[in-house]
Amino acid sequence: MTDQLAALTTIFTEFYYWITVVLMFLIHVGFCMYEVGASRYKHHQHTLMKNTMLIPLVTVTWFLFGWWIYWAFPTGPGLAPSIMNESTALITDDSAFSAKFYTATSQLMAVNLGDHISGVFWAAFLLFSWTAASIVSGAIIERITTFAFGILAIAIGSVFWVIDAAWGWHFDGWMLKLLGYHDAYASGVIHAIAGGFALGVLMVLGPRIGKFSSSGEPRNIGPRNPWLVTIGLFLIYTGFWGFYAACNIPIFNLGPEYGMEGISYWTATNIYVTPTTLSGITFNFLMSLSGGLLAGYWIAKGDPFWTYSSGLAGIICASAGNDLYHPIQSMIIGMIGVVLSYKLHYWVERKFKIDDAVGAVAVHGYAGFIGLIICGFVLNGYPSSGYSVGAMWDGTTYAAINPLGMFIGAIIMFVVLGLIPGYIIAKILHGMGKLRIPREVEIAGLDYEIMETAKSDEKAVASATR
Amino acid sequence: MATVTNWIDHLNKPADQVAGAIYPGAGSSEGLLVILAIIIWIGWHVLTSKSESEELERLSRKRHGPNDHKSNITDW
Repeated sequence: MTDQLAALTTIFTEFYYWITVVLMFLIHVGFCMYEVGASRYKHHQHTLMKNTMLIPLVTVTWFLFGWWIYWAFPTGPGLAPSIMNESTALITDDSAFSAKFYTATSQLMAVNLGDHISGVFWAAFLLFSWTAASIVSGAIIERITTFAFGILAIAIGSVFWVIDAAWGWHFDGWMLKLLGYHDAYASGVIHAIAGGFALGVLMVLGPRIGKFSSSGEPRNIGPRNPWLVTIGLFLIYTGFWGFYAACNIPIFNLGPEYGMEGISYWTATNIYVTPTTLSGITFNFLMSLSGGLLAGYWIAKGDPFWTYSSGLAGIICASAGNDLYHPIQSMIIGMIGVVLSYKLHYWVERKFKIDDAVGAVAVHGYAGFIGLIICGFVLNGYPSSGYSVGAMWDGTTYAAINPLGMFIGAIIMFVVLGLIPGYIIAKILHGMGKLRIPREVEIAGLDYEIMETAKSDEKAVASATR
Repeated sequence: MATVTNWIDHLNKPADQVAGAIYPGAGSSEGLLVILAIIIWIGWHVLTSKSESEELERLSRKRHGPNDHKSNITDW
């Protein structure tokens, strides 16, 4: 980096993503607190460990193959030609964005003085992966084995969500080109898919013992510690700021990128390389959060657990188009998403006996799905990608954002890449006898032995005189 | 193993040689490191799955009631 402007841009971008990673770490802290707060006393420590251990499990697999998937599969393969080499197969050529640079043996996947961006970009996406796995984690507490959850976490965190990111987020993604898919802050790419995946697992896993009466009426369980849930959700809100920032490119000269001769236009862009501003998305983040809280407080009659969750659902529902919406549009979309998700949660619970312990399928899955559909109508006609006008492409193959394309995109996210894989993998684990803990353990509590040992230690210490 | 032994000499090289990997064993050890990581990763799953199954089996044999844990709540 000998050119000062290039150096400044590169170092700023490196630092920017690094900060987003630190902020997003708070999402995981929040999820851990939230889950423990929602679980019962006798399951606390196993619940905490289950969610904590997804960090190394997803991180290592993300290094080994997850990140490569993002760069290898935007064209399907076989669904739409690449804008770089017109191939519809894997990107394995020598172009600047070839997937071969992101294999675990690549020299760019380490300390490399020629690359200041790969590591922080890898990490930003990795934190998205943790979030996807953590969303699933909350729904299935108190009855899944840690082994089974580890496999499911790797599947959603290092395989399925990143396939959808390659298809619907990557600048070369076939869903952008053919469907006009637009999902700036991951209503579908993270939330709908993780919610769908959790629903697929829950269909096989079954409810917690005692959740439904003998006549099939659902009973409320918890949260045991509303204060831990409160702090957890506030931390998730906080980490979500980092998530929004990480979905942007902080500084980009769009003139040359769009092939506009002699024109410089420096701006932040969304992940699709179309202009937005950090200022603008700040309006929308807070207004959609507010819309969610307002609607949640009303529909849940002031119940704190649902009100906090609804704030999150409001943001999630508006996220697909929060790079372009007016703040009041964001607020209203957040409200609509919350009301529909809340109603759907209780309808599915009663009708299908699905025990989603923290409402994760509703808050992430239904709200994300609904947000994608609304985005198709509200942003109908906008370009889905910066490259639809760019020098790298002829401008004919990227569909504009449209309701049908977004509806199909929502189905792909929630059902095709979420619910179906979750259901199949859970079925396989169930068939191996590895999915659910024994009934006796669930009744006694996963932490029974830990608690027994602690009590025995307490007695020994209490009776000690020296 | 050292890829760089003198930073001044390294930074004085032509730009294309400065901009590169600087970790120990760069260019020769990556494949081996990935194989090691895969072995550790699979081994961890095997070990923890086995110990979890043993723990669950032991606990399920004891057949504690749903409220038995309450007598084990500590008050340090």
